[in-house]
Amino acid sequence: MTTHVEQVMGLPVSLDLRDDGDFSAAVTDAFGWLHEVDARFSPYKVDSEVSRYDRGELAAGDLSGDLDEVLDLCAYYEHLSGGAFSARLPGRALDPCAVVKGWAVQRAADRLHAAGARRFCLNAGGDVVTAGEPEPGRPWRVGVRHPEQPQSVCAVVTSRNGAVATSAAYERGQHILDGRTGRPATGLLSVTIVTEDLTNADALATAAFALGEEGIEWAAGQPGCEVLIIDAARRVHRSPGLDAA
Amino acid sequence: MKKTIFVVALSIAGFIAVWRFEPAAMGTTTTTTTTPPSASAPSTSTGSSSTSVTVPGSAQSSEFGTVQVQVTFSGSQITDVQLLQQPDSGRGIDALPQLRQEALQAQSAHIDTVSGATQTSESYIRSLQAALDAKGS
Repeated sequence: MTTHVEQVMGLPVSLDLRDDGDFSAAVTDAFGWLHEVDARFSPYKVDSEVSRYDRGELAAGDLSGDLDEVLDLCAYYEHLSGGAFSARLPGRALDPCAVVKGWAVQRAADRLHAAGARRFCLNAGGDVVTAGEPEPGRPWRVGVRHPEQPQSVCAVVTSRNGAVATSAAYERGQHILDGRTGRPATGLLSVTIVTEDLTNADALATAAFALGEEGIEWAAGQPGCEVLIIDAARRVHRSPGLDAA
Repeated sequence: MKKTIFVVALSIAGFIAVWRFEPAAMGTTTTTTTTPPSASAPSTSTGSSSTSVTVPGSAQSSEFGTVQVQVTFSGSQITDVQLLQQPDSGRGIDALPQLRQEALQAQSAHIDTVSGATQTSESYIRSLQAALDAKGS
């Protein structure tokens, strides 16, 4: 039983690890990775690899394998969403954050798993990777934050080995922009994606939110994904396979 | 989802019937049974039987206002984190029944974590850490 909370990448990241044994080295390694990602991929840090690439100081051939992978993922989701999801909006700096966060946190979870951890919940600012069960015989129970009441949840979904990501425009949250128009997406209040890994869950949640109302069917149609979406009329859309608690 | 809308429609229909007939019409009281059970019992929350301890964190001020959390432990496990103080959200409360219904149901469930929180402020995490430290798990 290990709990750890730390502020990384501008987010509170918490780990609830239920395995017996000493995982302190693995926890240090996983959080160290997240700090490394912040230094390398933040568009807000002038000396990050992302910023240097964006300013033309690094050629495409000189990029690290990790950044290559992130940029490939950005291109993939941009294509998949018909341009609604975009890491490069007109007049703005390259911002791969929407992919980096889920990807980095999934990698951190993979590191914990490689170190032998099998029962844990890693939550980075509301994007969640779960492994195993918190107690024998029951899955992790993940509350979905109410889009309009910060202290409430509006649904509970369950997950064992998987990921849950939610994109929403909360009262002071960042706006998610529709890459097709460059304007804030307004059709939906909250998009939750439950799937196997957080890289996919987080990117799909952001892309579906950017798509607006058409994102409901779009997200539900992605293979291996279950969705819980609240539209601007406060209707709740659930995919039939969603493991609701 | 269809079922939810149906139940909510029934509740509203029941309410209208009660309202229209006023107290005299005895038979209409049966319509109240169409109210979904979740709405009547939202308070069966975590309340773990054994050793539930609630520890408030320190109040932390930020540019948006004061943030203070309260952590409930069952043994050494966190079963709940509540915001005791938070900046005003400034959003409306005109939720339609669909969302309200889901939310009422969800409130009564035990949860391990929350997806979609954007409590990104340092003050939130400091208050949370203070509660963890005070508990000394």
